[in-house]
Amino acid sequence: MTGGEWGIYIVLYFWLAGFGGGAFLLALSQRDRWLQRVGAWLAFLGVVVGALLLVIDLGQPLRFWHLLASFRPVSVMWLGSAFLFLDGIALFLLLFLRQWPPLLVWAAAILTLLVVGYTGVLLTATARPFWAASPLIPWIFLASAGTTGAAVLALFGAEAGVHRAAFWLAWVEGALILLHLVWTYPSATPAVQALLSGSLAWAFWGFVAFGFGIPIWLEARKKGLWLAALLVLAGGFLLRYFVVYAGQVGYLI
Amino acid sequence: MPRLDDFAILFDASYCIGCRACQVGCKQWNDLPATETQNRGSYDSSYLSAHTWLKMSYHEGLDKDGEVYWDFTRTSCMHCSEAACVEACPTGAMNYRPGGVVTVDQDWCIGCRNCVQACPYDAVHFDEQKGVVQKCTFCHDRIANGLAPACVKACPTGALRFGTYGAMRRAAWERVEALKAEGYTEANVYGLKEMGGTHVIYVLLRHPSTYGLPIEPMTQRHKVAVDWLSAGIAAAALGTLGWVIARREEVSGGES
Ligand code: SF4
Ligand code: SF4
Repeated sequence: MTGGEWGIYIVLYFWLAGFGGGAFLLALSQRDRWLQRVGAWLAFLGVVVGALLLVIDLGQPLRFWHLLASFRPVSVMWLGSAFLFLDGIALFLLLFLRQWPPLLVWAAAILTLLVVGYTGVLLTATARPFWAASPLIPWIFLASAGTTGAAVLALFGAEAGVHRAAFWLAWVEGALILLHLVWTYPSATPAVQALLSGSLAWAFWGFVAFGFGIPIWLEARKKGLWLAALLVLAGGFLLRYFVVYAGQVGYLI
Repeated sequence: MPRLDDFAILFDASYCIGCRACQVGCKQWNDLPATETQNRGSYDSSYLSAHTWLKMSYHEGLDKDGEVYWDFTRTSCMHCSEAACVEACPTGAMNYRPGGVVTVDQDWCIGCRNCVQACPYDAVHFDEQKGVVQKCTFCHDRIANGLAPACVKACPTGALRFGTYGAMRRAAWERVEALKAEGYTEANVYGLKEMGGTHVIYVLLRHPSTYGLPIEPMTQRHKVAVDWLSAGIAAAALGTLGWVIARREEVSGGES
């Protein structure tokens, strides 16, 4: 209605950081060195492209350095930019080094987790009831980072372990979303209605069918795993899309 | 808490006639363009935006005796003492100024809109042309020169008053006592505790929720702490689940 909403760049960033970070963290649980490197690449690209998207999204992109010239840890936006910056450096170093020093791997893993986690906190720490009335957005984003991260790893040939993790996290993710909708319905009724039957229904039901139902069905039958992975990835995008937009229904859009 | 000699505005809903002179005065002094309004089935047709920093909201309904009420309230920046916008701002562009005023430094703002999402009063908005946010400035250019803010100056009924925080708070308390004596038993002062104490305080005839005001809004600091905690628990719970399943399968798969 009045413009200035957090829009498609933010959605894309959340999605990239989510699956890139998720892929890296899950790859670390695997012994396959090649897969770990793939994970680090994906996380690095997520961080770099994501940071660019964030800068483009600013009203004054050329002033992005004001973030680095400030110290405001109470601001989730500031802290997130700091994590993003440091994570970019840590991942860059990993990509360069042939032998991974354990300490650096730990630092990169924790920073990646913080980057994925802060995106949820950013939305929850607002005055928008659909984001803020329940504490579950960080949970949903982390679960989705797991499922979409596993999906990309699957495309790169990950073994059964990653598939199992994705399968169970998908159920958890679905349950969390359901719980979130019930929880926020009283205070964010227009947003939930927009999801179920309004302007965002295509994204919500698209996610339910293609990002959740069909992949779980395929995965349970161990059929079409490629297709399942692609659908989960697309579903992760729809999820970020409807969460970001639903929070602003009636306020900015 | 605001200091007793801070600037303050007192809005007294019991005097307000909903004429919107304040809304027009704000536009004129601050050189803000006209904006399109929208008929939403009531006289309440405008909304806050980067170009409308103050708006009167109209609330109608039936009170508990079945009497119709039509109440007006001011919606604009409250100039909070623990302001969500300031604590959400990653650059410090949104900040406290002397006298308890909260304003945005438009040369330092990067246009990230985090303050827009954080304000519990919907008082900050993004100006797409300028690429930065705008909101009520408490008419700092007027008050610094001893003038009352434009909205207060325009008010024909005395529903808006300007003075020191100490004086305005005392006036609010006195007015509530008088209203109670007249039979308005629910009369109350809003803004004394909200967001660390706001520099705009309201005298209301009814419970704040009838005016659409947030009840006990959580400060940004508090929210951020709770939400990081939630994210931490989520990471521990989901991380363990995902990682352990992936790891276990891999280890057992590797051995078989
Ligand atoms: S009302 Fe909103 S914009 Fe004004 S100081 Fe408080 S949080 Fe900031
Ligand atoms: S839009 Fe400007 S004032 Fe608002 S939080 Fe971002 S930098 Fe601060």
